[in-house]
Formats: sequence, C-alpha cells, structure tokens
Amino acid sequence: MPAQRIERLRRFLPVATLAVLVLIVGALQPEFLNPDTLLDLASDTAVLFVLASGVSFVILTGGIDLSIQAMASLASVIVALTVDRLGYASFVAAVAAGALSGWLGGLAHVRLKIPSFVATLAVGGVLAGTALVVSHQHSITLGATQRAYIGWITGPWLGIPREVIIGALLLFFADTVQRRTPFGRYIAAIGAGEAAAYASGVKVGRQKVVAFVISGAFAAFAGVMLAGRLASGSPTLANEQLLPAIAAVVVGGTAITGGVGSIWRTLVGALIISVVRTGMTFIGVDIFAQEILFGAVLVFAVAVTIDRSKIPVVK
Amino acid sequence: MRARAGAAASLGRLRVIDWAPLLVLVLLCGIIAAINPRFLLFGNFVRIAQAAMIPLVLAIGETFIILMGSIDLSIEGVVALGAVLTSLLVKNGANAHDLGVAGVGLVVLTGGLVGLVNGVVHVRLRIPSFMVTLGTWFIAAGIANAALGGIAVRINDPIVRGLVLQRVLGFPWGVWLALGTLALGWFIQDHTRPGRYLYALGGGEELAALSGIPAARVRILAFTLAGAFYALGGVLSGAQLGLGNAQVGQGRLFTAITAVVVGGTALSGGEGGVLQTLVGVLIVTVLANGMVLMGVSPSIQTAVQGLMIIVAVSLSIDRKRLRIVK
Amino acid sequence: MNGAALPVLALRHVGKRFPGVQALRDVTMELRPGEVVGLVGENGAGKSTLMRILAGVYQPDDGEILLSGRPIRLAGAADAMRHGIGMVFQEQSLLLNLSVGENIYLGNEAAFTRYGRIEWHALYAAAARQLAKVEVGVDARTRTADLDFATRQMVELAKALTLEEAASGHLVILLDEPTSVLEQTEINILFARVRALKSRAAFIFVSHRLDEVLALSDRVYVMKDGAVVAELPAAGADVRHLHSLMVGRDLRAEYYRESLQRPPRTDVVLAAESLGRAGAYRDVSFALHAGEVLGIAGVIGSGREEVTRTIAGFLPHDAGRLTVFGQERRFSSPAEAVDCGIGYLPRERRTEGLVLFLSVAANITLASLGRLRRHFLLDPAAEARVARDWVARLGVRTPGIDAICLNLSGGNQQKVVLAKWLNARAKILILDHPTRGLDVGAKEEVYELIRSVTGEGIAVLLTSDTMEETIGLSHRIIVMRDGVVTHRADAPPGGKPTQLDLIEHMV
Repeated sequence: MPAQRIERLRRFLPVATLAVLVLIVGALQPEFLNPDTLLDLASDTAVLFVLASGVSFVILTGGIDLSIQAMASLASVIVALTVDRLGYASFVAAVAAGALSGWLGGLAHVRLKIPSFVATLAVGGVLAGTALVVSHQHSITLGATQRAYIGWITGPWLGIPREVIIGALLLFFADTVQRRTPFGRYIAAIGAGEAAAYASGVKVGRQKVVAFVISGAFAAFAGVMLAGRLASGSPTLANEQLLPAIAAVVVGGTAITGGVGSIWRTLVGALIISVVRTGMTFIGVDIFAQEILFGAVLVFAVAVTIDRSKIPVVK
Repeated sequence: MRARAGAAASLGRLRVIDWAPLLVLVLLCGIIAAINPRFLLFGNFVRIAQAAMIPLVLAIGETFIILMGSIDLSIEGVVALGAVLTSLLVKNGANAHDLGVAGVGLVVLTGGLVGLVNGVVHVRLRIPSFMVTLGTWFIAAGIANAALGGIAVRINDPIVRGLVLQRVLGFPWGVWLALGTLALGWFIQDHTRPGRYLYALGGGEELAALSGIPAARVRILAFTLAGAFYALGGVLSGAQLGLGNAQVGQGRLFTAITAVVVGGTALSGGEGGVLQTLVGVLIVTVLANGMVLMGVSPSIQTAVQGLMIIVAVSLSIDRKRLRIVK
Repeated sequence: MNGAALPVLALRHVGKRFPGVQALRDVTMELRPGEVVGLVGENGAGKSTLMRILAGVYQPDDGEILLSGRPIRLAGAADAMRHGIGMVFQEQSLLLNLSVGENIYLGNEAAFTRYGRIEWHALYAAAARQLAKVEVGVDARTRTADLDFATRQMVELAKALTLEEAASGHLVILLDEPTSVLEQTEINILFARVRALKSRAAFIFVSHRLDEVLALSDRVYVMKDGAVVAELPAAGADVRHLHSLMVGRDLRAEYYRESLQRPPRTDVVLAAESLGRAGAYRDVSFALHAGEVLGIAGVIGSGREEVTRTIAGFLPHDAGRLTVFGQERRFSSPAEAVDCGIGYLPRERRTEGLVLFLSVAANITLASLGRLRRHFLLDPAAEARVARDWVARLGVRTPGIDAICLNLSGGNQQKVVLAKWLNARAKILILDHPTRGLDVGAKEEVYELIRSVTGEGIAVLLTSDTMEETIGLSHRIIVMRDGVVTHRADAPPGGKPTQLDLIEHMV
C-alpha cells in the first residue's frame, strides 16, 4: 500500500526532522538549547506560524493563497495609520480587511472559476498597490503614544513571550475548527475528493470561500503582530514571507494537492523553518543563501508529500 | 443537431474574444489622446516602446508556458540573476571581467539552465509548475543576492549600455532587440513542431500523447526557452538601469502575467500566442503611460493590473468545461 | 483458420486487470486480411478495453498479440500506428484548438518539416487529400472547434487513413462506435469507404447498433463479462440471435430477489412533467412512487444519463416541471437535491461516490454532519456511534470505522455510499449503475439492500449497465432513445417484460 506508506512518511518525517535539526544545532551551539533561547525561537516563529496556519486552510482544500504577504503588509499599514484614531479597534479593522480581501479573492476563484493561484496573485497585486498608495510608499514608525496600544503583542507575560501565547491561542482555535466543526470536515473532504464532496451535497463553493476568508484574516493578524513587534507599518513589511509560509505548511507534511494535513503539522513545519534559519545564522550562512535553501527545501518537500494520483496531467 | 448548435455558439464567442484586446488597446489610446494630446507625440511613443521592451521579452517567454496550461513564477528571480550576472561579466565597476557580447550570451545560457531545471523537476518529479517555479524564483533571487551581497554594480560595457542609449530610427537598440525576440517567438510558435506542440499540450495533453507527441520533452524545452528569454530581459533591465542589483526583477512577474492574459492567451492553455501578448504588453504599458500623463500615482498600477488579471481571466475561461477548479 | 491466409492480427489468451476488476479474460480472436470483424457486447463487456489494447493505449497483463504471425508489444498509440494499427476513437480524440490539417498529421509533421520549419502548404495539401478520401468538404485550415460532431468523426477517420501512406503492408483500423453521432448519409459514406479499403486494410468494428454490425461485418465476435462468448459469420445471423448471445445467462428470477418485490405505495414522491434540457432530452414525463423501483433503459446517448443527473442536481432542466414531494423544484447543485431528500449513488463510485482518502465514518456522515453538531462542535462519540450502527446494519466489511475507504472492496464501498444516504434520511435514491465493477456476490448483496430499502418506502430511480438488471429490479421501466421516452412497461414479479420487448424501442 504505497498510499499508506506515503501517509506514514508525511506524518512522522517532519517531527523526526525537527528533532534531528534541534539536536544538530544544539550540538553546534549548546546555548541554543537553553529554555530562554528556545522561547525566543518560539516567539520568532509565531508570525510565520500564524501566516502559515491561515494558508493551510486553503491548501487543505487543494487551492493556494499567494496574497498573504501583501495582506500582512497592508494590515501593518492599516494599524500604523489608524491606531491613533481607532485605538484597539484598528487591530479589528485590519483583521476585518483581511477577511474582506479573502472573501473577495475566494469569490473571484469560486464564482469566476479562476484558478486560485492566479486569483490570489491578482488580489495580492491589488493589496500591494493599495498599501503603497495609502502609505505614500513610506514606512510608518509608531510614536510613543501609539506604542501603548501594541503592548499586548510583545514582551513576556508570566515569563512567556506574548507572541507564543497568541500563537497557542490561534493554534487551539484552528485545531478546533479543523477537527471539530462541519466546516473542517468539509474542507478536508473537498481536498481529498472534491467531486465526491460536491455529489454528497457539500456546498463546495461556500466552504472554499470561508477557507480564503480565514486565510486572509490570519494573514492580516500576522501583519498586526509584525507591526507590533517592529513598532512600524510598511507596504513591504511582510515581503519575503510568502515562501517560508508555504514552505512551512508543506514541510510539515500537508500535501499541496489537499485533503491531508492539520494545524499541528503546520506548527512542526514552521518550527523546522525557524530552526533551520537560526541554525544557519549560527553557522554563519549568509541570509541570501538561506533563501536559496528555502526554495530548494520547498520543491523537495512538495515532491515528497504530493499525491500524484490526484493529478492525472501535471500542469 | 445539438452538437452543431453548440459549435456555432462557441464560434461566435471566440470571435469576439479574439478581437477584444486589440479593441481595448485602440479605445485606450483614443481616450488617453483625447484627455492629453501629448500622448500622440513621437517622443511619447518612444517612451512607451522603451517601457514595453522588457515586459515584452519576459511575456513572450511566459506565453510559451501559459500556452501549455502551465505557469512560470520564476521570472523575477531569473531577471535579477540575469541583471546581476550581466553586471559581473561585462565591463563593470566591480571586477576586471570584460566579456562583452559573449558575457551576454553566457547570461542567456544561464537563464536557459534555470529554465531547464524548472522543466526537468516539473516533468520528472511530476510537481505542478507553479510550485517548482515558486521555488526556483527564490533560488535564483537568492543566488543573485548572494553574488552581490546587497550592493549594486555599475555596468560600463558600451554595447550593453548602448541597448538603451543608442538609437536607430529614433528607437533604442533594446526595442529592436525585443521586436527581434518577438519575431523569433512567433517563428517558433507558428512554424516549428515544438511550437505547435505547445498548442497541442494546452488543448489536451492526454489526447496529444495519444498522437505520439513527446510531452515531457516539449515541456522541458519550453521552460528552457522561457528561462533564456527571462535572462535576456535581465540583460535589458541591467542596461536600462546602468547597473546590476538583485532588486531589478521586482514587479516583473506581475506585469508579464497581466500582459499575457490581457492579450487573450487563455490560462487553461491552447489559445493565444505571442502576437496577442504584444497587444497585452501594449495595453499594460499604454495604461501606465496614460496614468502618468493624467497625473495618477504610479503606485496604484499594481492594483490596476491585479484587477485586469481577474477581468481578463474571467472573460477567457470556458466555465462550462470546468467544474473543479483548484 | 481453415488454411486461409495468415491472420493480419491475432490475439492469444489476452487478459487485462484493473484494480478490483478483471476487464478481459482469455480473449482469443483473429482478423484476416481484408476482413471486417464486428465486435458486440453490452456495456462493460470489455470491448473498449480490448480496442485500447490493440491501439497501444493499454498493455495486456496476459497473453500475446501477433501481427502477421509475429508477436509484438505495442508501447503506445504512436507505436501502434508505426505498426499499421490506427484507431477511430469513440470519444473524440481531436484537439479542438488546432486546425483540421494539424490534427490529421499531429505527431507526424516530420514529413513536412525542412530545416526545422514546417511547410504548411505541403501539410495542408496532404490533409486536403485525406479529407477528400472521406468526402469531407471542409478546408483543412478550419479550426476543429468550428466543426460539428459528425464532421469531426469523419476527420477522425481521415486521420486514421493517413496510415495508408505512412505504414507499409496490410493495415488494421479499429472503429470504436464511429456511427453514434453520424446521420444516415454520413454512415453510408463511412461504410462505402470501409468497403473500398478492404484491399488495403482489415477492420474491427464496434457498435451498439447491431443491424449496422451485421450489415458491414464479415464475422462477428460476441463479448460478455470480459470474455469472448461466441464467434459467428454475419451472413445468416440476425439481431435477435446476436442479442441473446450478448445477454447469455438465462434469467433466474430469484437472482434479483423478485419474491421480495412489493407493490409500491400510491403516493407520488417525485414527478417529471415534459421535462427537457436542450441538447440532452425533451418531453420526459414519469412519476416515482414511494417504495418503487423505476428503471430507465436506453443506450449511450439516449438521454437517460442526463435525466438521472438532472434529478441528482448536476444538470438543471430548462423545460417542463420537476416536482419533489409536492414542491416544484429546479436544482442548480447537488446540495439542493440533497436538501430535498434525494441521494445519488453515482456511477463513478471512486471519484463521486466516496472521498476515498477519508475514513468510513467520515464518509457515512458527510451528507448529514449538521445533525452531529452540539454547541457548534461535532460530537465524535455520536459520530462513531452512528457509523458503527450503519456498518453493522449493512454488513460493511471493514477493519474499523476509521479505516480509509480506499482499501475497501467495491461492494463494501458501495455499502458505505448507501449508508451515507440512509443516514442523511434520503427518501429518493438515484442508483446510477449501482453494480458496476462488482463481483457476483457483491451484486446480490446490493440487490438485497435495494429490496430492503424500498420495502421501507424509499423510492429508487435506477439506471444500469445491463437490461437484465434493470428488468429484474424494477417495478416499472421507461425506455429512452434519442432524448425522448419511447416506451413504458410494467415489470411486476412473474410478469417481467423480456429484453427483446424493450430493445426494439432502444435502437
């Protein structure tokens, strides 16, 4: 049963990889294994994890969302521009904008039947353009009074970084949605066999749109967290985040063909990416060379996890 | 009898779609000229041609890929790599190399090599093209970045600089080079077997295979050619800026895909071609030119292009044929 | 045999298996020079598989193929063509976005290429000659999408006839249902062309129109359940005889559990009045009662598949009225049909019936997850209870409710699909070829289940691969041909119509 063997591989390879990587980096640089360093690592991973969690809903259905980095950047700009006037409501506004953009992208994909990678590429362009226009192409640094509003995002709380707590809450939320709601079941069914889900009366289009809404909202939330951590908003703040986010989902063992995957796998994948990054910086690998490695890792992980029986003609 | 009615209906639809992009281009020119007559000055035509030359070269490469029903996201990476390599191989401000035209040839070959990798990985490992090329995008951009370490290198080679600075019949050499590329693309597409097989693969890969078409080889060849075209685009980008840096690719992917689909090449493959892409490139550049003439912020361009992609793709997709779209 | 010329093509004990199905077993046949051999059988008898093996698309698992006495292996369609074997496919194999001429020489442009450049004039002139052979008067530069189906079929034939110039020696041309979209005049051209070519080629002709097979062929092979069951000269055979050979087994009433067939109730659950869909069917009327099995008989292209898909919610009708439980409905998606209490057991069990990579439990509850919700969340304990209950009631043989459906046998997969609809409390079941690909034992279990659910008042709309099954299971039968209902028959236990009564209304 090759299908089952691949499934076992998908399930255990990522965890084993993570363990091995942690040990390797720990052996090279013993202070890496200090609880404090590990907590730092976790808080550095949080933004990537949130971004990847959102897009994993879409990938589970067998689609893709390429607009997330533009959405995250736009969200940081929204926060930076409105936190003065709106206070905490500006965070809500940013996340709502993410949900709205996900909804529009989802509709373009489902109603107009545009393949998701193009629809979201286009939406990403619209978002990036909007961010450039409203920010006048500038990075906006938060002033002292504005910084009072972002305290909930950074710094420790009872000794634990707040990013980690936020990440854990979102993990719990996403896990519940995926495992315990009809929606979670429907998107798994759509990814694993869209024709059968459709014939079983699942409202396929609606569920897909919801997945895009979640992806957009999570991306915006990741942008809010970034704005909080860097105390600024910028139309290019989250650039270079798309590839690591998708890589995190895929490296964790979720197939881009959809159907199999879970938020826990995305967590493992995000941690792998983070450990590799930290490890490479420790060893002194140039940041640009890291990009090369991530590109290669993405292709490799896709090659291992993809379910080729689902795509008779690979385009 | 039912079949006949169906065929006639699709006939009518296709005819309108075939001419729509050209009509849009003409209308666009008319509107902009009416608002600002300076649009019609010869100098402005040169400006448009110069703005269009790089998108044209890139979009021709992408057209080959989209004709097969695939996509190539590696454009920006290969353009950056091409520009950086150009700046390091021809006479430049950072090292003693002075390979001239041979250097440009090497750059184009390197682009072809990246495309070859795209094609081989895509076909042999059976991974969807958008994933493979997403990976190589970052690999190529990473190599470009690593090669320069974030700095910019001046290009001093007279021939490369001449692509932008020297003019023939009023237009820079680069514009003529882009038109030559277009002619080459058109010849490959319409008069060679691999070119025709691009259409066959886009029209129905399984059926094409039944007729004995070597699908894998055609795909690899197409990605290789596309990579070479992107690298040539990188050379032009370097020439335009007068320097090579790893950021020159930014925004190029988006413009290229917009131009291809706006020109009328269907994302599902098998319809369209490089001449349509020329129209698409002109629509995109004329619109940008017009917005500048009308005083609209250029940063809104990406947003407008995003909307154009959605509109163009949704007009060209045959929704009756597809039920499952991923 | 009989000392005649060496067969141009011969099959020896050829077998082919697909996952879960033995599509061909021990097929031995031969084709002599200049001969037209007819190949007939019911749907699923293995004709198309056999043709695809000969065309190089599939490779046989057992046995061998001899070409002019020498064993050969056909690696692909192009390889078969090099050996002089060409095929006119049942589904159209032309690329609609290319010109007619390009399609005719697709993959063989090398002959017209010089220094890498295709010489279009030469190619189109040659294509025009091929088109003239089949008397098609279209320009070879026409886009194929602009042709109607019948012309495309003739272009397919022209494409296969390029073998005349391309391959040496005696040719083999496979005709897989080439007449189904043709009008009589076009059929005449096709037949004349086939007869004229007999000096150069031998033909295998597959068709469900038995009269045509007898008219064109010299000999006929009859297939059933993947094997050749008879071989006879066409001269002297008649349609009735051929048909009885195709059906084969004598009827056993108890095979279909006829003793369990109860009279239906009087309440109408679903009614179609003059239902129509452009290009598919028109003026279709029937009433389906609670507890009734209504069979729809008809060949491919009769419109019965589309009627079934309309009621399942896939293809909305555009004329007439569809009434479900007294309410007029027009379904634009299966979800709407499901909401009206309709459950669809599709023919493509592995793609549309089940989500193969989900567990048995998840498949059983997929159409009724709303009922398992408590405080917005699914109740896993309740789901497991429901799934175990259905597995026990229908006797699904599975390692557990968490096993993925991929690994279940066909019969057990079908029970899971049925459990899904029973759990969703469907009152109307559409059974689209419910026993396709199942072995005999599994078929009998499905028959038993159908009797048991109709006994509880569920109504069933049935289409099936075999006439025999339709007649055996149904209370009433409607027969369709060319998109309209041509016949209606009652089928009470002990008073079933014969296949011959129905077949004359089908073709």
